Amino acid sequence: MLEISDLTVAYGGVIALENVSLSVPEGSITAVLGANGAGKTTLVRTISGLIKPRHGSVMLGTQQLVGRSPEAIARLGVGHVPEGHGIVSELTVDENLRLGGLWRRDRADQRVAIEEAYELFPPLRVRRAVHASNLSGGERQMLSIGRAMVARPTALLLDEPSLGLAGGLLAQIMQRLVALVTERKLSVLLIEQNARSALSVADQAVVLSLGKVELRDRADRLAGDDALRHAYLGF
Amino acid sequence: MSTALRGSTLLRHGLFFLALALVLLLLTSFVFDAYTNYNVTEVAIYAISAAGLTVLTGINGQVSLGHGALMMIGAYTTSVLLTWHPDLPMILMLLVSIATTGIAGAIVGIAGARLRGPYLAGATLALAVALPQVPSHFASVFGGNQGLTVVSPAPPAFLGANFSPEQWLAWITLAAAVITFFVLANLVRGATGRRFRMVRDNEVAARLAGIDVARTQVLAYMISAACAGLAGSLFAYWVTLTSPSGFTLTLSLSLLTAVVIGGLGSLTGAVLGSFVLVYLPVKTGDLATTLNLPSNIANNVPTAIYGIVLIVAILVFPRGIAGGIASIVRGAGRIVRSSRSPAALPASPESPSQ
Amino acid sequence: MHLFLIYTVDGITNGMVYAAVALALVMIWRATRIINYAQGAMAMFTTYIALIVIRHGAPYWLGFVVALATGLVIGAVTERVLVRPVESRPPLNAVILSLGVLILLEAIAPMLFGGQTQSFPVPVSNTDLLVGGTSLDISPFALFTIGAVLIAMLLLFLVFQRTTLGLRMRAAAFNPEIARILGIRVGRMLTLGWGLAALLGALAGMLAAPSVYLYPSNMDEVLVFGFTGAIIGGLESPVGAVAGAVGVGLALSYVSGYVGSDLAPLGGFAILIVVLMLRPQGLFSFGRQRQV
Ligand SMILES: Nc1ncnc2c1ncn2[C@@H]1O[C@H](COP(=O)(O)OP(=O)(O)OP(=O)(O)O)[C@@H](O)[C@H]1O
Ligand SMILES: [Mg+2]
Repeated sequence: MLEISDLTVAYGGVIALENVSLSVPEGSITAVLGANGAGKTTLVRTISGLIKPRHGSVMLGTQQLVGRSPEAIARLGVGHVPEGHGIVSELTVDENLRLGGLWRRDRADQRVAIEEAYELFPPLRVRRAVHASNLSGGERQMLSIGRAMVARPTALLLDEPSLGLAGGLLAQIMQRLVALVTERKLSVLLIEQNARSALSVADQAVVLSLGKVELRDRADRLAGDDALRHAYLGF
Repeated sequence: MSTALRGSTLLRHGLFFLALALVLLLLTSFVFDAYTNYNVTEVAIYAISAAGLTVLTGINGQVSLGHGALMMIGAYTTSVLLTWHPDLPMILMLLVSIATTGIAGAIVGIAGARLRGPYLAGATLALAVALPQVPSHFASVFGGNQGLTVVSPAPPAFLGANFSPEQWLAWITLAAAVITFFVLANLVRGATGRRFRMVRDNEVAARLAGIDVARTQVLAYMISAACAGLAGSLFAYWVTLTSPSGFTLTLSLSLLTAVVIGGLGSLTGAVLGSFVLVYLPVKTGDLATTLNLPSNIANNVPTAIYGIVLIVAILVFPRGIAGGIASIVRGAGRIVRSSRSPAALPASPESPSQ
Repeated sequence: MHLFLIYTVDGITNGMVYAAVALALVMIWRATRIINYAQGAMAMFTTYIALIVIRHGAPYWLGFVVALATGLVIGAVTERVLVRPVESRPPLNAVILSLGVLILLEAIAPMLFGGQTQSFPVPVSNTDLLVGGTSLDISPFALFTIGAVLIAMLLLFLVFQRTTLGLRMRAAAFNPEIARILGIRVGRMLTLGWGLAALLGALAGMLAAPSVYLYPSNMDEVLVFGFTGAIIGGLESPVGAVAGAVGVGLALSYVSGYVGSDLAPLGGFAILIVVLMLRPQGLFSFGRQRQV
């Protein structure tokens, strides 16, 4: 369970998130929707420890994440697929995957986890020795998600994984994601511009607007309610 | 800004620097002893060179680790010409040195305008190491490692028989410094300075605003080199011996560090940094002697302290003495509310990254 | 022709020493975007420490190991204590800081070790090998120099390319933020990187000292030539740094052999300028451009 309460973040004097609270139960996906600049990336970067909040708390299970370094937070089980995929393009596909769980003690399981990532995204296997800079946009997205999974996280933060993905591929990745979530009891925070596809896989949805939670509801209800959809999501 | 106002800024500057010159004249004539005059001359020489470097690195954002080499060109211009024609007047020597070094600076600048960050730093560093080898190789012209002697000009007769050549040199040097700072202060505040800063802050934006970036950088280099040439020429008269050992890498590094310690980008900082450069060794050297330290320690205490001052300054006072004083003055009115971390040195295109 | 051979061997030998310095500079540049101008001074310092060890009767090899170990420590401590606070600041901060360290080390050295020039021992003979009465124009120490630097490079290559530690260090250097969200302790990696670089510098110091002698600023020129080589190689590329540095070594050797030894630095400056005018980012700088 990932539980965010009262989170306020500012860049200099400018407030980017204001008293944001939400919780992501185990084995479920929460979609975070909102216009450009709403504060979605700020939210996940704060959870990861890359940005220090002004106040508020982020609990992963019983652990307080606020105040810890990004590397410590990663080691507590937060996987982060950053905006723009964030693969290390100077390294090979295999090296990128290995980076995912380098800190883990269990080396044998680490190998298993890498193997699972290849099974999850077979296109990566054929390109394992290739420099990541040569991957297509979709392959990069797969690599980034696969890499996050290698660490066997308990919470997964996905910042616009659909960026640059073809619709069909996106649907495929989303399907695999849903399967993983229930299988591994993951708490997933899914940030999406494409509200339609996000709502189709999410259990719960939160709409951010100018740094504030504007709406919070079950995903199916939001998707099914034309008035709400028009008002907040514009489709 | 109307021309009248700009004219009056110029006037105010002129009056200020005239007053400054008068004060310095009185001090060097009636207050300072010969030793102080000697040191003050040195401060003024460094200040001229440091001011030029301030324009280049602080205002225009080009790092030079080789300004000592440019001073060397000025010094050798003067010294070589004087060995050929010992009677040439000093004023002519100063002007010719400004010209030759300015031209050399333009050449370095043309090469440097294509380079960024560590590439520029490395090229100027290599220059600082390479140039001092030239006099040793072409000994017939440059006097080899022994160097060339230069005779400090005699004061004019009307100043009286008691007027020493040191005092006369102090006058000339301070006059040169006052003129240099007057010219640079106006330049920095004017349109040229604005263009320099735009190129430093954002090359792309500067280009979009119609500024010829390369030309601006070459101009900055030329102005900076002209100052170094003037300083180098005065340096030759001051040391009375021009040899490669006077222009080591240390000189180049000292100039850059003085500019930063004083406060990068501020002409006042160039003066303050030059004071530190001259007086820190003098004072710490005195201290080492009074403490009766063995010579291998005493001789190096000043440099060691200079190194420590540099490190501490960067860690605690990154805006230099000038910036430090400014923030103390600004902070004096209000009680310190929160312990802010020190602001960093302004950006310069030292690295092509980010 | 014979002279040419001699100059070539000399150039390669010196070039390998510059290559060690160049590689150290590139390692630090890639990880922290900082040029460590104190690299040479650190090497001078560790070489003095080796000399003390050797003067106290210990074998050369103990001095050698002590020098490299001290290098590791000095580099790591410098990064952790002095460089860390300026890493995120505009680059000139780090330039001045490393110049401060350079000046400080060169002032402390004569206080601790005396300022006079000292000769430095070699582990193997410094005179040219003879085979059947004809000279091979290369001394065992020159071979040792070339071999030691090659081995050091090979080891570094293996560490960086074949171990998980190396993978961590590369990730930290290439993309610190991503490395952190993957649980890599980037700060430690940078500290270690500085330490390894200074270790490589210490090796250069040990190899340079027999020919340039040992005095507080003995590594200044070596640093400049190593830096020149690194720049020619494009700063980003370890292979480029080594190639550039050997090129500088050769150029200096030919200039000082055929023209005059005092003009050697001018020769180094000349090839630097020629290369930079043709390619302002150095020769091996294709690919990774992090331009604004
Ligand atoms: N490093 C920063 N410094 C200052 N302001 C920032 C910074 N990063 C983001 N902001 C501002 O904070 C607000 C939220 O930005 P954020 O990146 O979190 O938005 P987002 O919801 O992820 O947008 P997008 O959909 O475009 O990715 C924006 O107004 C943005 O301009
Ligand atoms: Mg975003």
